Amino acid sequence: MLKNLLARLGLTPPEHPLFAANHLYFRGLDQNRPLADYDFVVFDTELTGLNRRRDEIVSIGAVRISNLQIRVGDSFYAHVKPARSLPKDSTLIHRITPQQLKEAPALARVLPGFISYCGHSLLVGHYVGLDTAFLNRACRQYYGSPLFNPCLDTMILAQSYTEMQWSQYHDRFRMDISYNLAALGKQYGLPEFTHHNAYEDALQTAYLFLYLVKKMHTMGITTLKDLYNAGRGWRRLF
Amino acid sequence: MAPKNDAQKIAPETVLDFLRETMPFNELEDDALRELARHAVIDFIPKGSVILRQGETEVEHLYLIQKGGVKIYLTNDEGEVSLKDFRGEGQYFGALPIIQNARANLNVETVEDTFCFLFSKAAFRHLLDTSPKVSHYFLRSLSEKLVNTAYAELRRHRIAPRTESTLFLFSTQVGSCIKGKPQTIAADQSVRRAASRMAELRIGSLLVTDPGGAIIGIVTDKDLRTKVVAAGLDYQTPVTKIMASPVQTIPAHAVCFDAMLRMMRRRIHHLAVEKQGEIIGMITTHDIMLLQGTSPLYLFREIVAQRTLEGLHPLARKVPSVVRTLIEEGAKANNITRMITILNDHILERLLTLLMEDLGPPPLPFCWLLMGSEGRSEQTFKTDQDNALIYAWPENEEKREAAARYFKMLSERAIENLVACGYPLCPGEMMASNPKWRLPAPEWKKQFDSWIRTPEPKDVMHSTIFFDFRGGYGDLSLANDLRDHLVKSIPGQELFLYHLARNAMEARPPLSFFRNFIVEKDGQHRNALDLKTKGLVPFVDFARIFALKHGIRESNTLGRLQLLHEGGHISPEMYNETVKAYEFLMQLRLFHQLFKMEAGEQPDNYINPAQLSELEKQTLKESFEVVRRLQNHIKQEFRLTER
Repeated sequence: MLKNLLARLGLTPPEHPLFAANHLYFRGLDQNRPLADYDFVVFDTELTGLNRRRDEIVSIGAVRISNLQIRVGDSFYAHVKPARSLPKDSTLIHRITPQQLKEAPALARVLPGFISYCGHSLLVGHYVGLDTAFLNRACRQYYGSPLFNPCLDTMILAQSYTEMQWSQYHDRFRMDISYNLAALGKQYGLPEFTHHNAYEDALQTAYLFLYLVKKMHTMGITTLKDLYNAGRGWRRLF
Repeated sequence: MAPKNDAQKIAPETVLDFLRETMPFNELEDDALRELARHAVIDFIPKGSVILRQGETEVEHLYLIQKGGVKIYLTNDEGEVSLKDFRGEGQYFGALPIIQNARANLNVETVEDTFCFLFSKAAFRHLLDTSPKVSHYFLRSLSEKLVNTAYAELRRHRIAPRTESTLFLFSTQVGSCIKGKPQTIAADQSVRRAASRMAELRIGSLLVTDPGGAIIGIVTDKDLRTKVVAAGLDYQTPVTKIMASPVQTIPAHAVCFDAMLRMMRRRIHHLAVEKQGEIIGMITTHDIMLLQGTSPLYLFREIVAQRTLEGLHPLARKVPSVVRTLIEEGAKANNITRMITILNDHILERLLTLLMEDLGPPPLPFCWLLMGSEGRSEQTFKTDQDNALIYAWPENEEKREAAARYFKMLSERAIENLVACGYPLCPGEMMASNPKWRLPAPEWKKQFDSWIRTPEPKDVMHSTIFFDFRGGYGDLSLANDLRDHLVKSIPGQELFLYHLARNAMEARPPLSFFRNFIVEKDGQHRNALDLKTKGLVPFVDFARIFALKHGIRESNTLGRLQLLHEGGHISPEMYNETVKAYEFLMQLRLFHQLFKMEAGEQPDNYINPAQLSELEKQTLKESFEVVRRLQNHIKQEFRLTER
């Protein structure tokens, strides 16, 4: 019982072979290598709503970054049939038709593909905590363990980057800056995205990630550890 | 079983959308496009990073700029940097090294934060191999000189001969039109013998040979009609009495268009075709008309056949329809403007001849001068009149008065009739009807001298119009004398050249960095680009300045450039790119004007860049880039400082 609980919290090695390997790999991850050495999977999910207990994933989109370049061909996109029938006014998922969802596989069948797609890559998302919460809930439910891939949040990176740019102390607390994906894209002059689904959003996040990482590189952020510390430094303030 | 990962099969719409709007990828079928998009790698390169290093970087990808911009520059052995180009959204770099399988030939550095799509060497090569349209685009857009070898090789393998040469006039060599050896007649034979021989052979001309067999002249059926029968000449007269000599020839490798131009210019119907110094046959207007359905020759014949001024008036308006045929058949702008010039010249000649029949012979020899674009033989559809008149020095007061009276009358009536033909008046009154521009030869020389020696701004403006003059009708030696005088006076007149150079810097190329064209900001041509003043005038100015500086007599811009190039005054590279860019701009203007006229509007010089194709836009940008280089050259040559 205790063992199970610890496993569910990700504190002991999980029993499922897929997750055991995942756990083993990331436990020994060297954080001091240059960022270009790591692979990243930038992903996004579409949800039926924001309730972490009741709502469900309806699509997952992801794209890989290797050598700090986006590999358009090495990407992942799947629709997911929710277990519960959709509420009639499911406005949040306006990007997918109900018919598409009806024909989609259940999450239990999508998940293994996505987990092996993620493999040894680090996960990146915009406000990634929300996506991983839904993902790990499912992982725990089906495999008794969360994912061990380290996660990076582009929203936090953007906040850190903004902070690094500003030398004046008082600017640090400027509140008039929006950190949503589209606003950041605009602020940094990234290419515009007109299509929206989990896949396109993941790609847009990947652009943002690439921009931030390469911009921060010129400010001395060169290893994975640097990147974590940069994010953490910001979080400590709040 | 895990569900199939659909994403392996899909490409992001964002990437696809971009490729669909970018030359030449928009030429690809959807499948090929998706395949390409799937192979794309997206990279972000912060501002100020060097992506390719000349002579060092092995180029592994074709880079297509999605957002941002790069500068491309060369570094020489001394470490001096020369900027070659800017590339922005939708433009690419790295193609040439991949095609040539060589290292980077230039340095590429980001000047903005830049996102690029990268296509691997293999994917790009595959694209070139499988899509002729794409390979054609890339090979065409790279400088021909640089890719010479690769181009020839690829073309051999991949691209079928282009079928654009359906046009007879521009593709058929004169040599292939002749029907066997020329028929000859000995010099001592009679005209009766010549006539019977022509009838026998059913031909319209015979070449006349001396006892040694050398060709010394030509007799045509027209000569028999006009010089023998109509003049009541004895049929036993030797052919040498009526022959035209020397025989006008044309090289066998010339295209039929050139033959037609030459015949029209000289108002003859037969040309001897020459190959390595030997006459191998004859070509006639009839040969050309047979092969060319709607020919400018028909209009030409109508013009020269006109017996009344009223009959002449509608003919000038037929010029566009003739030109339309030429454009459809793929004629280059240079050929078209030459054709328009010749047709206009003939209308002028006919007009003045008819006027003189009416007014009686002139009291003194004179020459009708054409200036501006007419003087440069670069007329398009919208050509204001720019003309003047020069006449011989009147020895006494009586002659002076007679000349003043006669030429006033002649020029005023000529201008009137030219307007009736559809040539608008010159708003600046630079016309022969203005007494200021109707002078005896010595006074013209004095006028030119004063512009050169004490150049006021207005004089510089005048010189840009007047110094492009050529004789249009009458005693051409007067015009030639004046040109001689000019050519002798200008070289060494540094102050004048300096002012001319300053004047040439007035037209700034409309290139705001590389993303947008600067267009006219207000007025009726908002959002339009003035192709003439911003695009063509700098080329014309450039050619004029250096032609005048180096004592070149030619007034045609391309002719001037060629002579400058042959004289070693401009580098071969500069010559090539200048000619290419100038011809493109002329072509663009001609198309635009024709389009306007067919829409029932007045032809003008304002184009809207938004309505151009991607290729046209890029070529336009490249042409303006050439303008910038030409102006820099002027700046250096005449030591102008940046104002």
